Amino acid sequence: MGKVRRLVLDVLKPLEPTIIELAQQLSELSGVEAVNISIYEIDRRVENAKITIEGDDVLYDSVVETIEENGGTLHSIDEVVAGKMIIEDAETLQD
Amino acid sequence: MGFFARKLHELREYNNIANIGEIARRYFAMNAFDGVLTIIGVLMGNYAAHVRDAKVVIVTGFSTCIAMGISGLWGAYMTESAERKRDLNDLENHTLTDLSNTKIGRASRVAVVVVAVVDGLAPFLAALVVLLPFFFSDLLADVVFSYYASLGMALAVLFALGAFLGKVSKGNLIISGLKMIGAGLVSILLSYFLGVEH
Repeated sequence: MGKVRRLVLDVLKPLEPTIIELAQQLSELSGVEAVNISIYEIDRRVENAKITIEGDDVLYDSVVETIEENGGTLHSIDEVVAGKMIIEDAETLQD
Repeated sequence: MGFFARKLHELREYNNIANIGEIARRYFAMNAFDGVLTIIGVLMGNYAAHVRDAKVVIVTGFSTCIAMGISGLWGAYMTESAERKRDLNDLENHTLTDLSNTKIGRASRVAVVVVAVVDGLAPFLAALVVLLPFFFSDLLADVVFSYYASLGMALAVLFALGAFLGKVSKGNLIISGLKMIGAGLVSILLSYFLGVEH
């Protein structure tokens, strides 16, 4: 089966542990080369985060496990890139 | 990473999540203060009642220490666990998930235990330190000197506590220490007048 090279997830997480700690933990997972977490909405106790993970073999289950271990909930998988290389979505007339 | 290093790392993480250090520090200062003032009361009560047997003072003082220790441990455990549960439930209402088996749930449980232990040990140890001179009363000519030494020890512990709080607030350590000594002196004087009446 092809290897996942990029995952973009929409996650709801508590304010603590911070996104710094979460990013560090995700970046330590095997097959992960880089992690980007950005917050696009913040509430009194929780925040919505867009998590982008890239690597040569990103393991979806370990990623979700780490997020849940830190109290986060996966809302949606917004983008996946799998295969031998990373490609961006192709532009269409509708774009 | 070794076992202890891993546990220490976990504890640091839990501390960040559950803010254990700050709450434990508050409980420590508050209850050590309570412990010292209570034992001052016990000492002055014994003095006023003309108790001149060191063993009696040790027995009454030590049982007071134990009672304060258990009271702190139990009280903090019950209070803190109720507050933490409420806080976790509130957070779960936001995330709409069960957080008890996550790092947050574990941090919350660790916080309860750490805070309860600190809350129990602080008054117990602070009061026990004050009582120490009575364990060596045989070395002193008169048991009254043990009373003096114990009260001196109590004021020293109060000063140290005040200085500790001064350090926490980044204020003046000496002034903060003297303020705490003030409480001890008021307690000693009021009990002393009780003894004079007696």
